[in-house]
Amino acid sequence: MKDNQHEIALLNSKAPFSSNAGKDALDIALVFASFEQPPALFFQGDGVHQLISNQNANLLSIKDYLKTFSAFEFYDIEEVFICQTSLEERNLACQFHIDGVQVLNQSDFSATLLSYRTVLRF
Amino acid sequence: MNKLAVVITTPPYSNLTITALNYIEAALSANVAVVGVFFYQDGVLNASNKVSITSDEFQTVSRWQTLHQVHQLPLHLCNTAGEKRGLSDEGSDSESKIGNNTENNSDINSAFTVSGLGELVEITNQAQRVVQF
Repeated sequence: MKDNQHEIALLNSKAPFSSNAGKDALDIALVFASFEQPPALFFQGDGVHQLISNQNANLLSIKDYLKTFSAFEFYDIEEVFICQTSLEERNLACQFHIDGVQVLNQSDFSATLLSYRTVLRF
Repeated sequence: MNKLAVVITTPPYSNLTITALNYIEAALSANVAVVGVFFYQDGVLNASNKVSITSDEFQTVSRWQTLHQVHQLPLHLCNTAGEKRGLSDEGSDSESKIGNNTENNSDINSAFTVSGLGELVEITNQAQRVVQF
């Protein structure tokens, strides 16, 4: 399941616009990627909102850092996982603003996350 | 040898930061090599010269200072996160002389090093284990 190249996972559990946590995690992701160590990204709890499409941060006068997610391909960030249970609990459809998001049930999500050497959570 | 890196995201007035300090001290006394501590998010406030915690409360900053002095523990703070919270190392180079004393005008405690996120990548790669508080 685990690719040796990808040893760090970033776990996102906060809603996108109520705090800076999502942007802080994104900054870390891009720096690791620019050192040729692209991290895996996990979205759980309210963090799943960061991947949902049709959001407009500008309405809240917030810089829309979610738009940067579309650059993941350029940064070789290929592993993006989202927790199915968290989506269901929030009645959210699997409509994401980037391609390649893998929806995992709770036990697969947890097992995949545990396969990484380092986990940072935001 | 076991190598540990620590990420601090909690401010100096947080009890979680005390837990982190206790953890690092326990690791050092168990002969675990701590390759560095990286301060991110509100954690950068631990490096502020201007934070003043009432004397009957836990003195987080002086504990970091002691760890740095006794164990030469590298304490890195994220530049961007620091500037966002009013921390600048401007003035650290231009020490002004008052009498015989030199005064450091920097906002940042001299035990800390201003770094970027690249330093987090560096210590993560050096360590077998990374623990975040």
